[in-house]
Amino acid sequence: MGSARLELVRGDYPDRAARGVGEAAATPQRVRLADAALLCIARQGIAKTTLDDVARAAGCSRATVYRVFPGGKDGLMSAVVDTEVARFFSALALRMGAASDLEEVLVVGMTEAARRVTEHPGLSFLLEREPEVVLPHLTFGHMDSVLAVSSTFTAPFLGRWLDHDEAKRVAEWAARIVLSHLLCPADGVDLTDEARVRRLVRTFVLPSDPARRASDPQRAAVPPRSTDSAHTGGIGKIDRPPRSTRTHKGEAS
Amino acid sequence: MDSETGQRIVEATYACVARFGLSKTTVEDAAREAGVSRATVYRYFPGGRDELVDAVVSWQYLRFFGRLYEEVHGADSLEEVLERGLIFARRQVLEHEVLQKVLQTEPDVLLPKLTVESNRTVGLISGFLVPYLHEHGLPDGLAVHEAADFLARMILSYISAPGRWDLTEPAEVRTLVRVELLPGVTGVTQIVDR
Repeated sequence: MGSARLELVRGDYPDRAARGVGEAAATPQRVRLADAALLCIARQGIAKTTLDDVARAAGCSRATVYRVFPGGKDGLMSAVVDTEVARFFSALALRMGAASDLEEVLVVGMTEAARRVTEHPGLSFLLEREPEVVLPHLTFGHMDSVLAVSSTFTAPFLGRWLDHDEAKRVAEWAARIVLSHLLCPADGVDLTDEARVRRLVRTFVLPSDPARRASDPQRAAVPPRSTDSAHTGGIGKIDRPPRSTRTHKGEAS
Repeated sequence: MDSETGQRIVEATYACVARFGLSKTTVEDAAREAGVSRATVYRYFPGGRDELVDAVVSWQYLRFFGRLYEEVHGADSLEEVLERGLIFARRQVLEHEVLQKVLQTEPDVLLPKLTVESNRTVGLISGFLVPYLHEHGLPDGLAVHEAADFLARMILSYISAPGRWDLTEPAEVRTLVRVELLPGVTGVTQIVDR
């Protein structure tokens, strides 16, 4: 009961993706069963979902489920997570890849992420009814892994406007902001609302960019900040401490 | 009912949690440790075990942020509050043996409780920051509560998962504060180098 392990993001995810090997390839049958399982989870949660339920939803026999997932429920749940994480990042890639400037890529990326997560049928059921299954994967040490994976995946899309290290930092920061609002919703800050995200990005993430400041009517009256100081902050102007270990802790070395 | 006994039971329960974990601590354990009867525990905590455990988490949580408040309330500037707060809080998380043990062994029990608490905490931290923000001054169009809420949730986030930032390194914390926390709320104010 509820003992199925749900690995939302494995620490070695980017590495596995790079090698192109998971526990098993994403065959059509695996995906079909994972989708059937997701349907069950959205209806009744993980604890109450049995392999019989999944077989029925997929229109196949229990034996077939076991043949595809010899590990039973745990393996099946991992496949659900793998499939959904892959879909999540492909959707993000589609939106972020089409953006034409830094503000846009952040706004569409964060909005899409928030929408995908809040509107996800299985995840919203679990956060509401079985938070003990999901939260351990989104907080403390596991949140570091989620941040590392999100940053590794989304940084290349920011790399069109930022250098490599800066892109990774901003990507992690954006993921952190989204995650924070999802786990702990603020009054009046709905990140599925693009206009609200744009304000957040303009107010807190991009404030040191003089060009952007001038184009924002709310800040138009404010003269651009001098950019000659290394301590001005914001994007692209970091005074890094002289350390060589600025890597993600969850990253495969 | 006196609150002293209630508090003694909570502290006794905490000692049991440190030994047995959240799930395995029973009302009997707490009663024995506190030197009271089971009936007394139930008089103070009619919800039994679950209520007791919730009370322990709330108590530790308040203690954590009480200490954090002690650490930063004398700070002169917003920057100093943020820097000292982040360093201190992260160190407290890492050095909290019971927290670390429970995070390892029973995250499924602890984290839903902590998430409930953290919703309240964003409000507490942001309330604490408001006077500093008033004093600091904000750019036009940015409301104090909006800046305070953003800072508060970011602080909580870094404390729980610092990601790429090493919060045990004062130089990194200083950079973090200048790069990801202050720029939005400082407007054109140049951050003075110390």
